[in-house]
Amino acid sequence: MTDPLGGFSAFGVDLAGIRRVLAAATTWGADDADLYFEHTTGHSVGLSDGAVNRASLSTDVGVGVRVVVGDQVGYAYTEDLSLEAMLGAARTAATIARTAGREVPPVVSGRGTSPSYYPVGRNWEDVALTERIPLIRAWERAAFAMDPRIQKVQVSLADADKRVLIVRADGRMVTDHRPMTQAYVSCTAASGERTESGSHNLAARDDLAFYTADRQDRLVRLAVDRAIDALGATTAPAGEMTVVLAAGSSGILLHEAIGHGMEADFNRKGISIYADRMGTRIAPPGVSVVDDATLPGARGSLNVDDEASDTERTVLVEDGILKSYLHDRISARHFGVAPTGSGRRESFRHPVLPRMRSTYMEPGPYDPEEIVRSVERGILCETFGNGQVQIGAGDFSFYVRSGWMIEGGQRTRRVKDVNLIGNGPDALAGIEMVGNDLVIDEGGWTCGKDGQGVPVSQGMPTVKVGRLSVGGGQG
Amino acid sequence: MTDDRELIDLADWAVSAALRLGAEEVAASASRSDQIQLAWRAGKIEQASEAVSRGLSVAVLVGDRYTSNATSDLRKSALSSFLADCVAAARELEPDVARRLPAPEECGRGASEAELDLDDPVWLTRTPDQRAADVAGLEAAIAERPAGDVVSTAANLAEGRGVSVRVTSGGFSELTRGAWFSLGGETTLRDGERRPEAAVGYAARYYRDLPSLPFIADDLRVRAEERLGSGPVSSGVYPAIIENRVAGRILGLLLGPIAGITLHEGRSCFRRSLGEPVGSSLLTILDDPLIPRGLASHAWDGDGRRPVRREIVAKGVLRSFYLNTYYARKLGMTPTSGGRSNWVVEAGPRPWQAVAADWPQAILVTGFLGGNANPTTGDFSFGIRGRLVENGVPTKALSEMNMAGNLGQILHDLVALGDDVWTYGSTQSPALIFGGVRFSGK
Repeated sequence: MTDPLGGFSAFGVDLAGIRRVLAAATTWGADDADLYFEHTTGHSVGLSDGAVNRASLSTDVGVGVRVVVGDQVGYAYTEDLSLEAMLGAARTAATIARTAGREVPPVVSGRGTSPSYYPVGRNWEDVALTERIPLIRAWERAAFAMDPRIQKVQVSLADADKRVLIVRADGRMVTDHRPMTQAYVSCTAASGERTESGSHNLAARDDLAFYTADRQDRLVRLAVDRAIDALGATTAPAGEMTVVLAAGSSGILLHEAIGHGMEADFNRKGISIYADRMGTRIAPPGVSVVDDATLPGARGSLNVDDEASDTERTVLVEDGILKSYLHDRISARHFGVAPTGSGRRESFRHPVLPRMRSTYMEPGPYDPEEIVRSVERGILCETFGNGQVQIGAGDFSFYVRSGWMIEGGQRTRRVKDVNLIGNGPDALAGIEMVGNDLVIDEGGWTCGKDGQGVPVSQGMPTVKVGRLSVGGGQG
Repeated sequence: MTDDRELIDLADWAVSAALRLGAEEVAASASRSDQIQLAWRAGKIEQASEAVSRGLSVAVLVGDRYTSNATSDLRKSALSSFLADCVAAARELEPDVARRLPAPEECGRGASEAELDLDDPVWLTRTPDQRAADVAGLEAAIAERPAGDVVSTAANLAEGRGVSVRVTSGGFSELTRGAWFSLGGETTLRDGERRPEAAVGYAARYYRDLPSLPFIADDLRVRAEERLGSGPVSSGVYPAIIENRVAGRILGLLLGPIAGITLHEGRSCFRRSLGEPVGSSLLTILDDPLIPRGLASHAWDGDGRRPVRREIVAKGVLRSFYLNTYYARKLGMTPTSGGRSNWVVEAGPRPWQAVAADWPQAILVTGFLGGNANPTTGDFSFGIRGRLVENGVPTKALSEMNMAGNLGQILHDLVALGDDVWTYGSTQSPALIFGGVRFSGK
């Protein structure tokens, strides 16, 4: 018999039950409602002290019930997928509509279709532990072989198969199989009395084929290089200076300085510094910023968002002009535009919010070395850690794990562990040169908002910003 | 009580089933939590969410081979299959003799449920109307105290109660319960092109231990006023006052270097510092998991050991690492605990304003923005917001500034403690006052 849920019978639900739950959720009426079923199996295996000595398995299953009335949201979830428990969650979520209900009869019709930005050749569930173990062993051996100053190596490989089934009260029903993998290598290096550490990770919505020989080599080499390079690095000077952001993970500048401010819930409430600036210039000509759910295999990609809207490549800033916010269905209704497929949630335990997917700046005309040569005194930021932003004030910070001092147009000494802080609109206005070398970073970035973490990607060409405050440790 | 019995039965069953599958040691934890969140904005509910959540975690040892696992799929058929996979996965690993559960005699409760007093009975009688009245009342109180040209105000409530059971093959079987309540507010103001925001939050184990709604609204107004007209001052070295409620961010820098995993990997700047001075003699940090109604109090630690009060730093000397059973064995040391509980720092004799009165200029840090630290070197760099303080009086609002330094240096530079211990968090500390910290701004 054909499975009407497209192979998602793992949830143990059927269409008749889904209809009853949706009917309960919309008992008091609603402008929108959805059921978000999620089933995730995860594996991780790790190596330390030369032994593959830890592993973990996980299973997470449940359903979130959301009822929307205007911009008000009622939400409930349960890990118990019995009809009784789901009906209980639906009745709880429905109470939001008691005083301001709308009439939207639930009609579950056909399945929606979605593109496939991350085709799965082989499920992670079908990859035996004995296939993962040789990989991490090889990474450890390679790390020790690269430099005798490497003293300790930690390696892990984690992966997951997430399956979601989203059913909306307007009749749309979609399924999505979302693989995820992340590999991590951490090295401790010592020379004389000095000890430093360095790490690198790779992540993707992909299967085992993601780990090509080139990627594996890069994973290990960058972890080793970062630990070794740190042995010769010092802290940067403090104060305002020119900042060159290297191509790749410096996309965190976009993520913090621009991306969060473009999330439409903040603009709907008027609390973003970019509220009321639609159609105005917020960056110099030549600067274009995109948030894209369609990059093949990227950690931030989505075939369909978490409220069953189609995803897309959204141009946020085009040639310096603010063109679009990132919308979920609530904000799209508020602004009278189509959703951008940006409604995301960490899991079935969380309601939908507008979120970024893969955020990057389009390449510009300059050769990266020309950009470095143009700097009299500044800092070149190569690898990054975390960042944070204040949505309304526009102030942001991001942490630079490693980079270079630039003096007289030359890289003069390695620096590390500095925080950069600035104001989003000011930093955008301060972009002076954009390189021709866009790189989408393959790191395992996770974006946090309202207590929810979702996987994202980011990218950047080499970019020169006239002035940012560098939180160095020297005068 | 029936639900509690079900949790115990679930954990018992998981241990027995894993042993039948060939596991030699098993620890199972089953939990249930009730969670309610309410957000109120512009005079109405913005979001209401409610859930009852259950889960099971199982650690399995097969001949020194170890897996730690978790599932929320509690159907017995699914659980049987899951446990079989956990045991099978353990067999594929290499042995690690450090992987053992602690001996039964080392395990147990550190305090009774009555002594910990974490389970406010009010939780069971709270009604949806009472919760709505709290957030509506708080937003109204915030609106009555505008700090400027208000763009938006909101109030948030989160409440919950959890029950957790731990059962091991060594005979450990205990249950613990705890409730939590939190209330907070936020406001966004128009300030030229900027829309600075401020937020406050309070948490407690007992509902009646939360401050009043007017108190929270007053606190938010002060914080919002501080955001107006903010900007950087000149880069330089300033005396620094870290406000009590954010002192945990600086004290927490210790956690990386004294964690078992960091020490084991040889990347701790304090790996040779046990028993040595790591800070000013003014600095004493007590880790106390047994504080009645403490937000981070617990009946047993992550390994099932009896938690005990422990000095982490005493008069500037590092007294303890955080070592669970595994990393203690790896390092050949005695286990302490795998993670922190409540941190308590005693108050100093004077308000920070009195200490700062002698300084023409100092910087009061009231919040952090991003930043990070390197546990291998102790170097840190954080974005900050706060106030310039001139002769003890807060003046200019600060933003777009960083503070940076080294953990070993800044802890030695602690020159005074305020008299104002913050009690609404798991770090109960007064303001920390440092003699000279490098800030970067203009």
